[in-house]
Amino acid sequence: MYKTLLLAADGSENSLRAAEESINFIDENTRVTILNVVGADDVKDEVLHGSQSGNVTTRRKEKLSQILDFYDGKGIIHEVVFKHGSPADTVVSVANNGAFDALVLGTRGLNNFQEMVIGSVSHKAAKRVTIPVLIVK
Amino acid sequence: MVENIKKEWFTQPGTNILAGIVVALALIPEAIAFSIIAGVDPMVGLYASFIIAVVISFTGGRPAMISAATGAVALVVTPLVREHGVEYLLAATVLMGIIQIALGILKVGRLMKFIPNSVMIGFVNALAIMIFMAQIEHIFGISLDTYVYLAITLLIVYLFPRLLRKIPAPLIALVVLTAAYLIFGSDVRTVGDLGQIERSLPGFIIPDVPFTLKTVQIILPFSLSMAVVGLVESLLTARIVDNATDSFSNKNRESRGQGIANFITGFFGGMGGCAMIGQSVINVGAGATTRLSTFTAGAFLMFLIIVLGDWVVQIPMPILAGIMVMVSIGTFDWGSFRYAAKAPRTDAFVMILTVIIVLFTSNLALGVIVGVIFSALFFATKISRVDVQTETVEDTIHYYFRGQIFFASIDSMMGQLDFNFSDADIVLDFSNAHLWDDSAVEAIDTAVKKFETKSNKVYVKRLDADSRKIVRELSRLNEQHLIQ
Repeated sequence: MYKTLLLAADGSENSLRAAEESINFIDENTRVTILNVVGADDVKDEVLHGSQSGNVTTRRKEKLSQILDFYDGKGIIHEVVFKHGSPADTVVSVANNGAFDALVLGTRGLNNFQEMVIGSVSHKAAKRVTIPVLIVK
Repeated sequence: MVENIKKEWFTQPGTNILAGIVVALALIPEAIAFSIIAGVDPMVGLYASFIIAVVISFTGGRPAMISAATGAVALVVTPLVREHGVEYLLAATVLMGIIQIALGILKVGRLMKFIPNSVMIGFVNALAIMIFMAQIEHIFGISLDTYVYLAITLLIVYLFPRLLRKIPAPLIALVVLTAAYLIFGSDVRTVGDLGQIERSLPGFIIPDVPFTLKTVQIILPFSLSMAVVGLVESLLTARIVDNATDSFSNKNRESRGQGIANFITGFFGGMGGCAMIGQSVINVGAGATTRLSTFTAGAFLMFLIIVLGDWVVQIPMPILAGIMVMVSIGTFDWGSFRYAAKAPRTDAFVMILTVIIVLFTSNLALGVIVGVIFSALFFATKISRVDVQTETVEDTIHYYFRGQIFFASIDSMMGQLDFNFSDADIVLDFSNAHLWDDSAVEAIDTAVKKFETKSNKVYVKRLDADSRKIVRELSRLNEQHLIQ
C-alpha cells in the first residue's frame, strides 16, 4: 500500500472515479493529497457564476465535496491543496517536486483531434511525471 | 508604507518583468483592432494603452491587473467619433476620467455589489457579440485572400499555444502573416487603407474642441457611458484577479486610479480605456503579482510602438479580424447556456435583457443600468411576498408565516389572513419570518385586534430575537400574546 498519494482532481465524474479506484492502492495509513488546479478560465467562471460573498476556498472545496465525502466515508486521511496555473504543468510540477509514492488522475477520454486542440492533462502527466502514474478511465 | 511599496512593486521582479513583456506583445494587435472599432488612428489606441498601463501601475488599486484601450470603451465611442471626430473623443476621455475620479471618491466600488451576476454575464456576452459583429465588415465580401488570411490567423491563434506558450500566439499570427503579405502581396485590405496614419510621439495637447456648453452637451452622455462601462469592466476584472491570486484589492482606489489614467490619457492623444480581462489573465497566468508587471507592459509597449510604428499601416485587416474573433470567443461566457436553462427565470431574463438592450442601443452602459434596475425590481417583488400557510388542529388555527415582513410586504401578508373565524384559538407562527420595521409591527397589532373583536384568542409564536425586540418596543401586544 502507498504511504502517500497525490490525487489530481477537478471535481468532475472522472476525478471521482479516480478517487474510487485509488482505494485499491491505499489504506488508513496512507496520506492522500488532493490537488485542485485553478486555471485562469476557471477564475472567470468562479466570478461570473459564483456567489459574491463568502470564502473562495470554501466554494472551491464544494466542487470537490463528493471526493472528500468518499474518502471520509472510507476513513482515509486526506488534505486539499489548491494551486493556480495551467492544469497539466501544475500537476506535473507538484507530482515531481513532492514526496509522493504515486499520482492518480482521471482522464476525459479525448479523441486525437480534441487532444491536439485542448490538450490532455493525463497524457502530459504520463509523459513527464517521474513517479508511478495511475490513469483511471 | 515602504514595506508595502516594496511588496507591491518588487516581489519577484524577474517574473513580473517577463510577464509584462508578454502582455505588451499581446496588447499590440488588440490596441490596433480596438482603435479601428472606435474609428480612430491605431496610434490613438496604442498611445492610450501605453499611458493607461503606466499611470494605472501607480494609481490603481489592484496590482498585476492590466488596463489599456479596450473594446468595451471603443464600442461606446464609435458614434461620437463618427459624428464629431477624434478631438471630441479626447475631450470625452478627459471628462470620463473626471467622472471616474469623482465616483472613486464617492466610494462607488461598494456599489459593484449591487450588480448581480446575471447583469455581469449579460455584459460580457454583449461585449463579445459586439466585438464579433464589428469584424463582419472586415471579413465578408472583400476577397478570397481575406478568408485565407482569416483562416490561417485562427489556426495559428488556436493551435500555436499547444507548441509554445511563452510568446502570445496572436503576435505570431500578426508578424508571420504581415511578413507574408509584404513578401508575396495579396488582395487584402490593410490598416493603412482605413485612413490616414500620422505617427508622432505622444505629447501634451489640449483637445481641440470649442470650450462651450454645446461641447459639454455633446460629450457628457458619452463620458458618462465610458465611465460606467470602464468601471464595470475594471471592477469585474479586479475581482477575477483577486480570485486568481487569492488576494484582495482596493476597489475605490482602483476607481480613482482608472479616472486619473483616463484623465491623463485624454491630454496625450489617447482614447479612454479600462482593465482588460483577457490581458490580466495572461499576466497573472505568467506569474505576475506586482505593479511592476503592469508598468513593464506599458513601457515595453511604447518601445515596440517606436520600433514597429512604420509597419502598423501594412498589417492586413483579416489578421486583426481573426484575432478579434478569438478575443470575442474568449470573452463570451460559454456557461451562459446552462445558466439560461438552470438559473431562476428572473435571473435568466435579466441576463438576456442586458444583452438585447446592448445590441439594440450599442451602449454597454445602458445594458448594465437597465439590467440592474430590472433585477432590483424582481428582487423587490420577490422579497415583498410573504407566504402564509394555514392549518387547523382541533379548535386551534395555525398561521405559518414565511418571508420578510416590512412596509412593502404587509399587503401581501394581510390579504392571506381570514378574519371570519370566531371563538377560536389562533396561533400566528413566525418561525420562518422576520419583522423589519414599525409597519410590520403595526400590521400584526391590527391583525391581532381584528381577530380579537370576534372573541378569538390570539397567540404570537416563535418570533426571532430581533423581531421580538421591536415588538416589545413598538407593539401594544402584551406578554399573554407572546409565546415561545
